[in-house]
Amino acid sequence: MIQRYVRQTGTLGAAALGATLALGAPPADAASLQDDVNRLKRDVASLKDTAKAPDSVVHLAGYGSAGFSSRKSDSTFQVFSFSPIFHYQYKDLMLMQAEIEMGYNDDGSTEAVLEYASLNLIMNDHAVLVAGQFLSPIGQFRQNLHPAWINKLPSKPLGFADGGAAPLTETGVEVRGGFTPGGKGLNYAVYIGNGPKLVENAGELEVETEGNSSDANKNKTVGGRVGYLPLHNLEIGVSAAAGKANLPGEDNRNYRVYDVDFAYQPAVIELRGEYVQTKVDSLAGSAIPDEHTWKAWYVQASHKFTPSHWEAVLRYGKFTPPEKSQELKQWAAGINYLFANNVIGKLSYEKNDAPTGTVGDENRFVAQLAYGF
Amino acid sequence: MNNQRMQTFNRVVFAAAAGIVLVVLSPSPANAQEAANRTAQSATATAGERAGQGDYLRGLKAWEQNCARCHNARDPKEYSDALWKPVITHMRIRAGLTGQEARDILKFIQESN
Repeated sequence: MIQRYVRQTGTLGAAALGATLALGAPPADAASLQDDVNRLKRDVASLKDTAKAPDSVVHLAGYGSAGFSSRKSDSTFQVFSFSPIFHYQYKDLMLMQAEIEMGYNDDGSTEAVLEYASLNLIMNDHAVLVAGQFLSPIGQFRQNLHPAWINKLPSKPLGFADGGAAPLTETGVEVRGGFTPGGKGLNYAVYIGNGPKLVENAGELEVETEGNSSDANKNKTVGGRVGYLPLHNLEIGVSAAAGKANLPGEDNRNYRVYDVDFAYQPAVIELRGEYVQTKVDSLAGSAIPDEHTWKAWYVQASHKFTPSHWEAVLRYGKFTPPEKSQELKQWAAGINYLFANNVIGKLSYEKNDAPTGTVGDENRFVAQLAYGF
Repeated sequence: MNNQRMQTFNRVVFAAAAGIVLVVLSPSPANAQEAANRTAQSATATAGERAGQGDYLRGLKAWEQNCARCHNARDPKEYSDALWKPVITHMRIRAGLTGQEARDILKFIQESN
């Protein structure tokens, strides 16, 4: 932008100089005008350097969405979800970033959740040290695809949101980065953190993986993900995590997570999918002694009808909680209109299969307008 | 059996952690190259041709191949040159890009807006 301005300034200056000479102005004035033009060019070039690379830069990014859903038992406008992301960068050394997810509770009160907040120290070209609370690097949906302007459907895949099978955030230290061995892409993330908390809810065991600002036991959870791109448009990822978790007042039990994901973009078509499994071992004498396993997976295909702004999406997902009778399945078909690449209108129909008589078993239409900024 | 699996997992994690420590503590190629560039003062190579600096064409390729893996490509005109820097750093971390890829993409975007 500034370079264009510099070029235009030079062109205008030359034109003005030419016009002046053509009109027969004294050579002294022409020289003075040329001096002015040269000084202006130097000033703009200096401004360009400053604008390009100040030592500290503060930036506000994020996303927001508003929606409407309708099913047999009810129809409702969904609350506006606003998620600003704050970036503060110092040279090529450090980036501090934080995302706050804001919305309304059912009673109308405002809710603000710190999605993540971390210091990111750039160690070298292949490693960044992340400290604080960060999105779980297990899998791909949670860390890369959950923002409303990126997710191609208004809803998240079954089991990849709160209360699902995929871990959400972690508090600890992470190292992540990438390599290009042989021209191929290889990215990685490894972490050690507080790990999850186990809670009892109406006699059921639940794993809380979000916002654990303290460790429920002395054992830390370690995990990570490796992603490999054998082709520039194909990524395959493998993730795992392991640690200990316990109900308050009880002994530890093993906690493990496994995940595989892929993404493939041949031309205007995009295919992606992910499988995640979270397992908590049994514990004799516990209030809830059985082994618990949560499984979720989805596959999604989308097609952009270029050069139009329309895009079609189809997704199938399944979430299997420890109580198999509560299994959820879902087909979701959607059509999107891209007002801009970061302003997306979505309309989808979800065919849900859940225990008969539950709200989750009802099919529904969902509309959403999402904006990434 | 579970404990054996955990021990194996812990060994793998320890080995991975050792590798990561080596990666983290290795000198920055960008800084090393920058120092070399200062002394070499090549008269013929452009900044983009020197490894370690951002390169427009490499950036165009990296931008095309990496950004669309997760989301629609953003318009370079959305932000000023300076504001793109933290955005690209954020994406470098999120997408597991190398520092060189990030510098190339930043160069491409700043030259394209």
